[in-house]
Amino acid sequence: MATRAAEATTDAEPRRKRKLRGVKQGGMKAYLYLAPTLIVLLVFVYFPIIESFRLSLNRVAPFGSAEIFVGFEHYTRLLQSSEFWNNVLVSVFFMIGTVPIGIALAVGIALLLSYPVRRLAWAHRMLVFVPVVISSAIAGVLFRWLYNPVVGHINTWLGAIGIDGPDWLTSRSTALFAVTVAVVWRQLGFNVIIALAGLQQIDDVYYEAAKVDGASAWHRIRYITLPLLSPTLLFLVVINVIISFQAFGEIDILTQGGPGQATENLVYSVFVDGFVGTRFRGLASAQAFLLAIMVIAVSFIQFRGFRKRVHYG
Amino acid sequence: MTAFEPEAVDVLVETNEKKVAAPRRRGELPIQISLFAIGALVALPIVVALFTSVTSLSEILRDPNSVWSPPWTFDNFVTAWTATPFGRFMVNSFIQTGLITIAQVLFSILAAYAFAMFRFPGRNLMFAVVLGSLMVPFELTFIPNFVLISNLGWANTYQGLVIPFLASAFGVFMLRQFFMALPRDLYDAAKIDGATDWYYLWKVVVPLSKGAIAALTIFSFLGAWNQYLWPLVITNEESMRTAQIGIRFFLVNQERATDWGAIMAGATIVMLPTLLVFLVAQKQLVKGIAMSGLKG
Repeated sequence: MATRAAEATTDAEPRRKRKLRGVKQGGMKAYLYLAPTLIVLLVFVYFPIIESFRLSLNRVAPFGSAEIFVGFEHYTRLLQSSEFWNNVLVSVFFMIGTVPIGIALAVGIALLLSYPVRRLAWAHRMLVFVPVVISSAIAGVLFRWLYNPVVGHINTWLGAIGIDGPDWLTSRSTALFAVTVAVVWRQLGFNVIIALAGLQQIDDVYYEAAKVDGASAWHRIRYITLPLLSPTLLFLVVINVIISFQAFGEIDILTQGGPGQATENLVYSVFVDGFVGTRFRGLASAQAFLLAIMVIAVSFIQFRGFRKRVHYG
Repeated sequence: MTAFEPEAVDVLVETNEKKVAAPRRRGELPIQISLFAIGALVALPIVVALFTSVTSLSEILRDPNSVWSPPWTFDNFVTAWTATPFGRFMVNSFIQTGLITIAQVLFSILAAYAFAMFRFPGRNLMFAVVLGSLMVPFELTFIPNFVLISNLGWANTYQGLVIPFLASAFGVFMLRQFFMALPRDLYDAAKIDGATDWYYLWKVVVPLSKGAIAALTIFSFLGAWNQYLWPLVITNEESMRTAQIGIRFFLVNQERATDWGAIMAGATIVMLPTLLVFLVAQKQLVKGIAMSGLKG
């Protein structure tokens, strides 16, 4: 007893010290390991949020850096400008055009790919996955060639079956659709990979049980696959909405926002106001801010709306 | 939030071996045909570009379908390579991409190790700071970053191209998941043997996490190589353009001459590194992407 008590007292002091020192050292060490990542994120992600808001409240001289405080003038001007609402509409149409079609295509293809074929599965996958490594700029270049009104392949093939193809990129009625196709294509590889991974997570037991019960293929998809895939679908919707709002490369290469402003989404408008010709960095920042709020709000609504319907099987 | 399950991801690339042994099913041929048709259609824009790049301009203009048959030529590559400093663009892209990739992987390993192994004050807050950065849209940050980098005099420099992208929140998150799954006993045993954290990280953790680190490396490489908006605004001197920006201005200049053969040759040069990565490392790439989806 006595010895143990003695041990305890002799031990207690150094242990507490050691522990304190340990936490301190551990803390210091941890922050040393974290420092490179934290510094970059704080300087180039978090600080710019504040700076962006500050810029949006100022008129910045087009050349040079003189600033005049104007309060919320940029925001009120934007909300009253038909140009701004045109850009919002383009962004929204673009989202409606890319997200449902892109995801439906990806899930359909993933369902086919998950069919246990005996050979060549790797080849099918490779062909479908390949756009995943293509940049938005290259996607733009490839489709600009395909859409060429005179010697592009799309109109050549349409001509072969007797259809006189339009001038895709310079006609108001087709330009947005043409850009949409390019973006859906560039995203397809990624979406199929995610959808396929989601499908592989579903336990075969469910399908076998359904088969025993005599459920048709369509019923198995409708009542087993899609509900159990819903977490993956939610992820795809959120990611694709964000990506569609951020579409820039294809627009810059294919149409530069034209004809008129038929394909000028908010990102492109931020770029034009901030970097092309006479620069209005304050106005551009205000648009960037409104865009960010839209993206975050839409993502939030999706999470809320989906939460009740997502089944975590 | 469920941790990703590596076995589930393996199935993606292993092409279902256990099912291959299953008896031959009825109706495989229609599935094979429709899968091939879909695959061909998806890959078509790339295939058209590759064939157009090896066809002479006069042939292309005579009949676009002539690209499918010989004679083929490499003249377009010579034109593209000499008409514009493509060599320089590629070197710029390799430097920019190399620096970003190395830094993202290195910094992510360090940060992930700290989150996975150390208990320290502010850990949850710091982790929220890292993850929260994923929600900040790039459009919000690129104007202030442009102003900052320009004021530092770094426009048209390599540091201007790379410094804002040296950290990867996604990389930290992915590697942390992986490091946390390593058995804790290993760490305790190493500690008892007197190993420092630094030694343990590089001699035990990193070798055990090769697959995840490879996936992150490929991710970072593709992300950096394919960057567009930032290099477009931060460079305005031709000598500092990256390959993606080079092809944009090449397209704008050549299109007046409608030299589509040369443009497609340029596009082929620019996408070649990423296509090679795809061919060589498809497995890790697909795994990495699948993990990003399963983490939600």
